[in-house]
Amino acid sequence: MTATATTAGSSGLAVATRALHKRYGPRVALAGLDLSVPNGVVYGFLGPNGAGKTTTMRLLTGLIHADSGTIELLGRPFGQGDRRRLFEVGALIEAPAFYPFLSGRENLRALAATGAPTPWSRVDELLEVVGLTERARDRVSTYSLGMKQRLGIAAALLSDPKLLLLDEPANGLDPAGIVAMRDTLRNLASAGKTVFVSSHILGEVRQLADIVGIIAQGRLVREGPIEELLTSRGRVRVRVKQDEVGAALARLEGGGFRAVQGSTSDDGWLSVAVEGDRASEINRSLAQAGIYASALTAETDLESVFLELTGATPTGDGQRSFGSAGATTVAGQTSGQDPQ
Amino acid sequence: MRLFVAGLRKLVRRPASYVSVGLLAGLLSLILIAVGATAKQTAERPNGAAALLLVTFPQAYTLILSFILGLGGLIAVIYGAAVAGSEWNWGTLKAAVARGESRSRYALLTFASVALLIGVGLVLAFLVGTLMAVVGASLAGISTSGLSNSDALGRLPDQFGRSWIAVVEEGALGFTVATLARSQLAGIGAGIALYFGEQFASIFLPDIVKYLPFNAATAVVENAGTGGGGIIQRLEPGLALWVVLAWLFGSLFVAALFTERADISG
Repeated sequence: MTATATTAGSSGLAVATRALHKRYGPRVALAGLDLSVPNGVVYGFLGPNGAGKTTTMRLLTGLIHADSGTIELLGRPFGQGDRRRLFEVGALIEAPAFYPFLSGRENLRALAATGAPTPWSRVDELLEVVGLTERARDRVSTYSLGMKQRLGIAAALLSDPKLLLLDEPANGLDPAGIVAMRDTLRNLASAGKTVFVSSHILGEVRQLADIVGIIAQGRLVREGPIEELLTSRGRVRVRVKQDEVGAALARLEGGGFRAVQGSTSDDGWLSVAVEGDRASEINRSLAQAGIYASALTAETDLESVFLELTGATPTGDGQRSFGSAGATTVAGQTSGQDPQ
Repeated sequence: MRLFVAGLRKLVRRPASYVSVGLLAGLLSLILIAVGATAKQTAERPNGAAALLLVTFPQAYTLILSFILGLGGLIAVIYGAAVAGSEWNWGTLKAAVARGESRSRYALLTFASVALLIGVGLVLAFLVGTLMAVVGASLAGISTSGLSNSDALGRLPDQFGRSWIAVVEEGALGFTVATLARSQLAGIGAGIALYFGEQFASIFLPDIVKYLPFNAATAVVENAGTGGGGIIQRLEPGLALWVVLAWLFGSLFVAALFTERADISG
């Protein structure tokens, strides 16, 4: 990691990366990532599979080394010799890592012996926070996925970090656990700590994050406050009779709207990429063609924003592309990726 | 210090620690009891008298140590590989590094706790072996008056120290192989292959193989070779100890260097 120079103008940021590059053999994982995570916020880090989220998390925790570029953690450069910077960082990267033959408490104590000096009293305090006190003496091998995840969050909080890096923290948690985790993370942000959450659960990020960064193919494609992002990318959903879908799509396309047919099970639903306050225009345009909408909703949907920005969009036949560069059916025709 | 103590705590709770010592002590006990129980038939066989030395004190002390050096060495390779490999497989090394722990310090202190546990395991196996040799001697009707032989007892600390270093070196090899493989299973497999590969190579390259880690390890205690019928040439114990130390520190250096520089994923 060549993080020797301080990046100018990045003060006040908990995490700042500049032109971060990482390759795994011929495959480019990061192609010049520039992240700016302000202090004291919950930052949602979104991206499709293979976009570079986990690589970024590994770089931020010193597990792997960048080919080029700089990283700053908590306002100071973070390079290969700066492991002590991580004393102020808590992390849960990929799956929580524990010794299966030790209990939850023993695992946290073993981890507390590494890195920043941590008193044992902190272990019991955190077991209480994540609701594992009653199972603290049981072997981790007997824990459910959700319990391991809760223990992983406790492990990340051991050193009372100023910056918390969490990779898919809601994995395996039941609804009550998700709500509790969300409350805990929001409380941490309220107390001035920075929470960096990588997730693929968009609804979860929408409820949790103040700022969102979207990564695709190793580059940041969008970063900003979540509300700003959502209002800039509206969607109107229109329901027409099933046999009028084709005509409606043609009418909307002719009127300059970009419409997409919903899945066949949607029974007449069309999705139009347009700001919500233009819903009446769509209704008028269809009515003038003798097509009457039976339902019409204006939405700001993080999922569609995400899909649009990352290029992974529904195919229009009810099937979703798992790749990052899906084809888009526009007005009933298959076209290339939507240019941004 | 806290990392070393935490490492010890982990190993004490680890089932593999008990299984390793149990396997060594169990097999040793089985052999000693079998020799004692079949003493009459054993004595009538060619070289039968030599087998009875296993339950005849004071010679039994050195032979028990030699058994520990042989089988214990193989178990140490597997144990070292299991400990190092699991740190990569379970992601516990990743968790420690992400907390700002020094990679090489973590690897070396983890091995230091392995080395101490190996010492404890050797003591336990030796005590069990001695006890079972006494039982075997009773079954065979052999006197145990040599048990308190002052010469043999006087040599024990030195022999024991050398044996410990030798078995620790073998554990270090397993530890390093698993570190390089970043895998518990691959480390154990490669460690076992190296162990037997070296024995096999001694048929063709005896002059070279005597300097290799496992052969040098069995040569550190005088008269403690594991046999070989004269095919395997052994180093003189003093030189063997230096060779073993070179392998020990060399392999730990490689493990620490690799851990320090490797990308940690998974």
